[in-house]
Amino acid sequence: MWLELLFCFMATVAFGVIFNIPFRLVWWGGLIGIMTWFIYSLLPDLGLSQVNAAAVAAFTVAFSSHWLAKFKKVPVTTFMIPGIIPLVPGGRAYSSMLAFVEENYVNGLGLGVETLLQAGAIAGGVGFALSIFSIGKGVGQRYETHR
Amino acid sequence: MGKAEQTMSFCLLGGKLMLRYGGETYRVEDTMYRMAKAAGMHNVNSFVTLTGIFLAFRTEDGQDYMQMIRVRERFQDLSKVTSVNQVSREFTHGNLSIEEATNQLTDIEKAPMNYPLWLIYLASGVGGATFSFLIGNSFPDILPAFIGGLITTVSLVLYQKFLKVKFFSEFLAAVSGVLAAVLLETSGLVQNMDQVVIGTLIPLVPGVPLTNSVRDLMSGDLVAGVARGAEAAVTSLSIAAGTVVSLSILYL
Repeated sequence: MWLELLFCFMATVAFGVIFNIPFRLVWWGGLIGIMTWFIYSLLPDLGLSQVNAAAVAAFTVAFSSHWLAKFKKVPVTTFMIPGIIPLVPGGRAYSSMLAFVEENYVNGLGLGVETLLQAGAIAGGVGFALSIFSIGKGVGQRYETHR
Repeated sequence: MGKAEQTMSFCLLGGKLMLRYGGETYRVEDTMYRMAKAAGMHNVNSFVTLTGIFLAFRTEDGQDYMQMIRVRERFQDLSKVTSVNQVSREFTHGNLSIEEATNQLTDIEKAPMNYPLWLIYLASGVGGATFSFLIGNSFPDILPAFIGGLITTVSLVLYQKFLKVKFFSEFLAAVSGVLAAVLLETSGLVQNMDQVVIGTLIPLVPGVPLTNSVRDLMSGDLVAGVARGAEAAVTSLSIAAGTVVSLSILYL
C-alpha cells in the first residue's frame, strides 16, 4: 500500500510536468494524487464496485482541487487534470480493444461498456464537485421564478 | 491608438493565450469580461468557442466595437494559463496599468515552455513506469514501460515537428511506442504485456480536452464542451488505431 502511494505520487508529479504545470504547484498535485489512490484502492475492499470507487475518488479530487485553487488563486484545472489521471480506466480500455482485435466481439463490448461507465463516473464526480462550488451562481434554471 | 482599440487588443491577446494553451472556455469568457469591465467599458459581451473568440463592448462615449479572432493552434501548457490568470487578476484589482499588463502578456506569449524538453521526456518515462506499476503490481515490467513511455513522447515531438498534423502524429507515436514494446516482448524482457502497453500509451491520454469538456458542459458552454469531447474522442481513436497496427505484428 505504501509503495503504491509513493508510486502514485511520482506518477501525478510526472503528469504535472507533462502538462507543464508551474514548478511550485506540481507537489500539491502529487498530494492530491496520493489521496485519490488511497480512496480508489480502499473502497473496493469495503465492498463497493470499481465504478463507485472511481466516482467517489473523482469527486474527492475535484473538491480538493477547487478548494486548493481558491486558496492558491490559480485555475482549478492546474490541480484537477493530473489528479484524475490515476483514475483513467486504461487497463479496461486496452483489454476491450484487444478483444475486438481477436474478434471476440461480445467480450469486447462488455469491457467497452465497463470502460465507458468508469469514464462516466469520473465525469459525474467532477460535475458534482463543480455544482457544489457554483451554488448560487449556476446556469440553466428550468423555471423563471425570481420575477 | 485610442483607449478602445488598446483595450480590445489587450483583452483579445489575453483570451487567445488562455484558449491556445488549454484554459476552459468559461474561464476565457470570464477573464475577457472582467478585463474589459476593469478598463471602463460597458455592455461587454464575449463568445468563445474552441477555435475562435468574439468580443464586443461599448465605450463611455457610446461607440460600439466588435472584433473576432481565430485560434488555430492549441498546445498543452497550463503554466501559461496560470500566468495569464495572474496578470488579469492584478489588472482587475488595479495594480497594473493597461500598458504594463499588455507588456506582461507579450512576454508570456514569447516565453519558451516552462520545462525543458528533456525533462518532459523523462517525466513521460516515469509516468509510464509508475502507472504500469499501479495497474499490475509487477516490478520487472517497470523498465520496459519506462522505455516505452519515453519513446512515445520523443517520437510524438519528432513527428509533430516534421509532419505538423496533430492526429496523424498521435497515431504514429502510438505505433512507434507499442512497436518498441513488441520488440521488448519478443526479446523476452517483458512479463506482462498489457501492463507495458498501457504504460507506453498513458503519456498520450488527452487529459486537458477531457477535463475541460466535462467542466464546459457542466457550466453551460455546450458548443465548446461537445467540441472538446469530440477532440478527445478523435485522439483516443487514433491512439487505439495505432496500438492495433503495432500489436497485429505481434500476433502475425
